[in-house]
Amino acid sequence: MNSQPRQITLKEWDGHYERLRRAGLREPDYGGPISRHVEEGDYRLLRLRYDNSAASLRLWNFLLTEEERLHRARAEGKKIVGTMKDLGTVPVMAYSLDNVVAFYPDGAWWIPCVMELSAGLLTIADSLGIDESFCPVRAMLGAFVTGAHFPIPDRLICSVGATCDDFSAIAQRLDSLGYSIFWWEIPHRRRPEPDEAAVKLPGGFSAPRCQVEFVKSELERVKSALEELAGQHLDEKRFSKGVKKANRVRRYLDELRQLVFTAEVCPMPALEMLIAEMLAIHFCSDRDETIIVLRDLVDEVKRRVQAGQGVLPAEAARIFWVNPVADLQVMNLLEDCGGRICGTEYLFSHALDRIPEDLPPAEALARTALADPMAGSAVDRAERICADIGRFGAEAVLISRIPGASHCALEGEIIGDIVADNLGVPVLEIEVPPVADSVRASLRTRLEALVETIRERRQR
Amino acid sequence: MTKTVVYVCPYVPAEWVAAHGLHPSRITPRAAGLAGAVGRIEGVCPYVRGFINEVITSTEACAVLVTTVCDQMRRAFDVIARRSGAPVFLMNVANTWQNVAVQKLYIDELKRLGRFLAALGGEAPSTEALAEIMLKYDTARKSMLAARDYLTSRQYSQMIAEFGRGCDCDIAKGVTGSKLIANNGVPLAVIGGPLLKEDFGLFDTVEDAGGRIVLDATETGERGLCAAFDRRRVRDEPVIELCEAYFMGIADASRRPNSRLYDWLGRELASRGARGIIFRRYVWCDIWHAELRRLQEWSNLPVLDIDVTGDEQCLPVRTAHRIRTFLEMLQ
Repeated sequence: MNSQPRQITLKEWDGHYERLRRAGLREPDYGGPISRHVEEGDYRLLRLRYDNSAASLRLWNFLLTEEERLHRARAEGKKIVGTMKDLGTVPVMAYSLDNVVAFYPDGAWWIPCVMELSAGLLTIADSLGIDESFCPVRAMLGAFVTGAHFPIPDRLICSVGATCDDFSAIAQRLDSLGYSIFWWEIPHRRRPEPDEAAVKLPGGFSAPRCQVEFVKSELERVKSALEELAGQHLDEKRFSKGVKKANRVRRYLDELRQLVFTAEVCPMPALEMLIAEMLAIHFCSDRDETIIVLRDLVDEVKRRVQAGQGVLPAEAARIFWVNPVADLQVMNLLEDCGGRICGTEYLFSHALDRIPEDLPPAEALARTALADPMAGSAVDRAERICADIGRFGAEAVLISRIPGASHCALEGEIIGDIVADNLGVPVLEIEVPPVADSVRASLRTRLEALVETIRERRQR
Repeated sequence: MTKTVVYVCPYVPAEWVAAHGLHPSRITPRAAGLAGAVGRIEGVCPYVRGFINEVITSTEACAVLVTTVCDQMRRAFDVIARRSGAPVFLMNVANTWQNVAVQKLYIDELKRLGRFLAALGGEAPSTEALAEIMLKYDTARKSMLAARDYLTSRQYSQMIAEFGRGCDCDIAKGVTGSKLIANNGVPLAVIGGPLLKEDFGLFDTVEDAGGRIVLDATETGERGLCAAFDRRRVRDEPVIELCEAYFMGIADASRRPNSRLYDWLGRELASRGARGIIFRRYVWCDIWHAELRRLQEWSNLPVLDIDVTGDEQCLPVRTAHRIRTFLEMLQ
């Protein structure tokens, strides 16, 4: 059953779900109506608007059943690794092993939003001395203490160095509470000096060869820790196979982003695209299923593009979004205000870039890890954003500050200056808390002003 | 006239800069206040704002050294590089410390810094010349540490800060021959990141309220000094010894894991007989802020949390009231 693409409420989804089922919808074992997750406390779902495709249904159900998958993996005797901060690197190695499942406890930063603060995770973080002056990722501490949101991992692996102080400090606090962490160092990526051997990184940055070698040696330490946990040697063949699988995910995402961000009429809403991109970092705890979920999305988007169908008006203002939002509802809000997403940089663009397959896997992964936008300067980040704006044709940039995040205080201004200087497009900075209801009116005003600015510039 | 290279990070070895024929100046920035070179105030560490402001407006600096020890300083490099006319060098100082690879990284970064200093007109030192300078600094630091009982706590901490700025190896000369300072105030430690120039009044405030700082464990104070050199190794392998004394020798909240900070504090708090802790932090410094509750849980001493923004005119009064109350409880 092919419906006209549109965004619908959760209530509308219930009826739509029944119609899809009657029409022969085939679902995986984690399928069902999205509304059932509200009973588990995911109250924010009641306030979101969703794409009405079967592909989107599968995406949402896949996202919202991750906890069950992790518990099932534990019950099956698999080892669970909590990978922290690197956003897309260590899971490529972990999923190359047979009996390891990796996930990011960092993802708990969305729990206060999805559960509308009902889980009390931020209150627990407060009680541990990590108050609201820290990034919402502090919810992770509460998730560990309650043990109610994910199984406590068998091993915690965290990257430090050129990362954000919030996460590093919170992870250290976690370590001090008895959750032992394996730390590995990611150095600040710098440009090669004239007399240094240089290496081109995925995504276009370059780095000195010695930095790639250093990261490679750090990842070798991580690999040994994973092998010890898994009781299995990660040989080059197996590792390469893991890289190829990760690249299948990345290829689908690349295709999806290209199709959606450049289509004349927006074929897939911003919220579903944000969730789809997030799958790249740890495959939502099931790599093979991630590939199927993304394949369905790509197929759906292709159908819509070919039919000239979309979910937003053709004249929607084309906006490039920088940093992930703590409140998912703000993605809907942007569209309410007349905008659409044409390009994103959610701090894990290195998890979207193809891992080189013509190199030994450890070298390839080291290059990819070093391409992390967080590891380099804000100037690098701004230049990549400029390049992607050119690729996707965005008309403005929206920088979404993460409350309390150490990197957001200074980098937004630098990124904004460089983008404005190089491309002359308008730049707006906003700050989005985990539940943005109290600032919704002011956010709306700012987003509408950006959209109006774009429309006014079109008429010049 | 010798060119001056300014920096604030304790992990930069002054000896290395000096051995290249340049003047190392580890500055103590002034608070930027509400003005300053950084447009944004909310979320930006007041110390970082002060540092950016100081180096951008500096007339003495021929170059600026920044390190990656904290995220905001790492970002400050971008701001300074775009706004300052002076060359800027970002030194990669790893947060982890427990394996040889990161120690080698530190040494490689020293060598890269050496090339930067050479480009400024410096000259790579011979092993002997470097060793000579290191021994001179080591002697000066030892005499400074020995002067502690002959100075007020403010004088002592300012001397350490002043040593960083001027690297005057005779800074403590004659002090140990003077009269011992008698102070029966309640012994306290001050723990935290670096101090701004305006912050030394804290020591007077404590004394006025009946206390005395017996351990300055701020980054500007004793905690920010490198470990004593192994003088024999200085002669043979001075660069490795710099790594040992600085990279491995300075305990800080930013290290991962930062267990050595607590080892250091455990030793020093006990040996100084501290009866309370003033925990001084900047409101947007996550690294230190996250340690507050842990310190309270770990230490069996009362801890007073003093958060500062570097912008408030009323702050000294507020801080004084809180310190006075804290000391009343301890007396």
